[in-house]
Amino acid sequence: MRKILLATFAAGAFAAAASAAPFQCPRTGGDLVFGQEANINSLDQMASNTISTRNIAMNMFESLMTRDENNNPIPELADSYEESADKLTYTFKLRQGVKFHNGKEMTSADVVASFDRYARVGLFRSMFDQVQGWSAPDASTFVIRMKSVQPTFIELLSSFSVPIVIIPAELKDDPPQRLRTIGTGPFQLVEFVPGSHVRMRRFDDYKPNTRFEQRTGFGGYKVACVDTVTVRVVTEASARVAGLETGELHAVEDIPTKAAAALKDNSDITILPLENWWIQIALPNTAIAPTNDLNFRKAVQAALGMEDIMDAATDGNYRLNVGFQYPNQASYSDAGKETYNINDEAVAKRYLAQSSYKGETIVILTNRDYPAMYNAALVMQQQLQAVGIKAELKVVDWPTSVQMSQKVNSTEFHFFHSGWGTQPALGALPTMQFFVSPGAQYRPRDDKDDPEVLALFQKMNTLPTEAERNAAFAQMQKLVLEKAYAFPFGSLTKIQASRSNVKGFVPFRIPRFANVWLEN
Amino acid sequence: MIGFILRRVAGALPVLAIVSLITFSLMRLIPGDPAAAIAGLSATPQMIAQIRADLGLDEPFLTQMVSWYGNLFQGSLGRSILLGKGVVEVTFERLPVTLGLSAYALVLTLLIGLASGIIAAIRHNTVVDQIAMAFAMIGISVPSFFLGLVMIILFAVHLGWLPSGGYVTFQSDPWGWFRSMTMPAISLALLQAGLLARITRSTMLEVLRQDYIRTARAKGLPDWQIVFRHALANAMIPITTVVGIIVSLLISGSVVTEALFSIPGIGQLLTQAVLSRDYPMVQGGLLLVTVFLVIVNILVEVAYALLDPRVRYE
Repeated sequence: MRKILLATFAAGAFAAAASAAPFQCPRTGGDLVFGQEANINSLDQMASNTISTRNIAMNMFESLMTRDENNNPIPELADSYEESADKLTYTFKLRQGVKFHNGKEMTSADVVASFDRYARVGLFRSMFDQVQGWSAPDASTFVIRMKSVQPTFIELLSSFSVPIVIIPAELKDDPPQRLRTIGTGPFQLVEFVPGSHVRMRRFDDYKPNTRFEQRTGFGGYKVACVDTVTVRVVTEASARVAGLETGELHAVEDIPTKAAAALKDNSDITILPLENWWIQIALPNTAIAPTNDLNFRKAVQAALGMEDIMDAATDGNYRLNVGFQYPNQASYSDAGKETYNINDEAVAKRYLAQSSYKGETIVILTNRDYPAMYNAALVMQQQLQAVGIKAELKVVDWPTSVQMSQKVNSTEFHFFHSGWGTQPALGALPTMQFFVSPGAQYRPRDDKDDPEVLALFQKMNTLPTEAERNAAFAQMQKLVLEKAYAFPFGSLTKIQASRSNVKGFVPFRIPRFANVWLEN
Repeated sequence: MIGFILRRVAGALPVLAIVSLITFSLMRLIPGDPAAAIAGLSATPQMIAQIRADLGLDEPFLTQMVSWYGNLFQGSLGRSILLGKGVVEVTFERLPVTLGLSAYALVLTLLIGLASGIIAAIRHNTVVDQIAMAFAMIGISVPSFFLGLVMIILFAVHLGWLPSGGYVTFQSDPWGWFRSMTMPAISLALLQAGLLARITRSTMLEVLRQDYIRTARAKGLPDWQIVFRHALANAMIPITTVVGIIVSLLISGSVVTEALFSIPGIGQLLTQAVLSRDYPMVQGGLLLVTVFLVIVNILVEVAYALLDPRVRYE
């Protein structure tokens, strides 16, 4: 066997060694009240992929592996792990003395039970496709055996999209959406009132991960400084702003740009931009004419001006971004940049003349649930009209647009507007999965993969080194953009804000309440 | 009276059957399903297909309908797909919140609407009448959402008198409940109070012109006795009808108010359920709300008999 220490884990450990001491709360106590935009339906982190669930559940549950501040895999409840020489076995040593919120000490039997439940109800259980099985040779060891080599397995296992959170073994038969909220995280559930709030309190028996000295990403050295955290559902943006101004809310997510500008001069409030929240994107339906014609798609590509689209979509809170990863990621590539932000009417008209387009109506499918998507679609419509494409919007709600967009050989739309947030943050592989059938998002005829795209995706999934996989990703991104299978517009910035007496609150993909304290 | 009530209950059963059938069919006819809501924004098509299969959403329309009605006849309204709890349990958690808000708003509606309507009628064609009716018109015209926002900025942000939102249960903190419900209740009540004021005024004006009122005045009865004992008592039948309608409007109007003030009531619950296509929750929740409104209507009709002995149901 060969011991694996991920580069980032080593870096984290190094950082820990370099700092003087592990994090200590400068102050403790108080009730931190967070205003959340979306309703929380369930705290079953295995059976829900919504941001609203993750926002809360990830402060109470933990998994074997997670992601650090730069989204690199790090151990969380695992103390270390080893990969066998044939790369078919992963052996995890568990951290000792970790307790669940019910007081029971975590053992490998709980990990086995958690994996068993995930295999039954977990939304991302397809990650086990290449897994032969798992076992617990002793109380502190957990082993996963693979059917075939999958170099990206640890990347998948550490995904925070729908993570395999570790629960006490006795909860393994809890039905989907009804998992009792007992984890190992720094906070434990006090009450959950759907539609109103979730209250958590400090878990006094929480054992921080001493491999680290600071919180990083979803893991690291975590300490609950506040006594309790109340996450209140405040769906109206203006009510969130008012709550922040009055001090009833200590921190909030998703502040409208205009309100943020007004709050900037308020010394009691700190504005916290969360860059790279999602990639604003439109996807063609290549199953039908004329979007099945490369020249037509290239005409559309040439017509698009990303500054105008992103400005309208985000009220100015954006960064231009060529591809399918965020610029702060190791896998980021600008391959295919020549296809991006062309905004040239002449070029667009030239491609249009070469295409099979005959003046038919082009339907842009969008929704009003996410105003950014609607506004982006509106500007796209105008830009297409400017080059002679008769474009019109079909505006429905989000669930409807998802269902319509996923119909094989649908004739109801030509372009579908979406936002890719979690997948790009997780890495190149989960993002490019969007271009692979079943359900490839450029909607190929009969859902049959473009062989060139599929070949590159398989390379991304199977090449042995990260450098090789990143190179394959860059090639795939270039190919997808050259074939105009997607029109990424740019990265949207989400604005969070906090009262100035809230310290240690650093915007991330979920609000992290550990290592956050209240002054005064 | 009991016979009348039983007949009305029997008459309500087809209404409930029709409501349940329409709700069931509409929810299945509109596109989208709960799988998209569970799977979230970054869902892959495989994930959505897997959830659909797990939830049995890929079964035919008729199979789903037979299953739902089968459970209904056995007294089960099913389980909310998203909340993972029984529909009855969730509804009875949320309905009292909305009923509390609606009751508070109803009290304000009656106080403001009846008082201003009566005063406007007594001071007919005076400045008082015009001011009262101008306020009634403003109440009817200003959207409750806008009014709520203005109140939040004024009373919560600038004056700090009331909380900007959130909900406190009456049992845990009666004063907290009163504070948290005051702005939502006012924003809900003003629209209905305006409506009630106008109807009370016109009904009272009509009654005040009747011969028996003239007789009462000729007998030298004091004004308050003429207004409250003779005029208002006879104006109450149409007013009661309107109050019955107002109760329904307050419950349906709570959707917007609950969202603005972050109140976990039935309005928010059902709106979310519709948006997420939580079929059992919408079907069962709406059915229970319909049952409640049917009961309110029966009570209104019973109130007719109590208010006016000439009304006989036997």
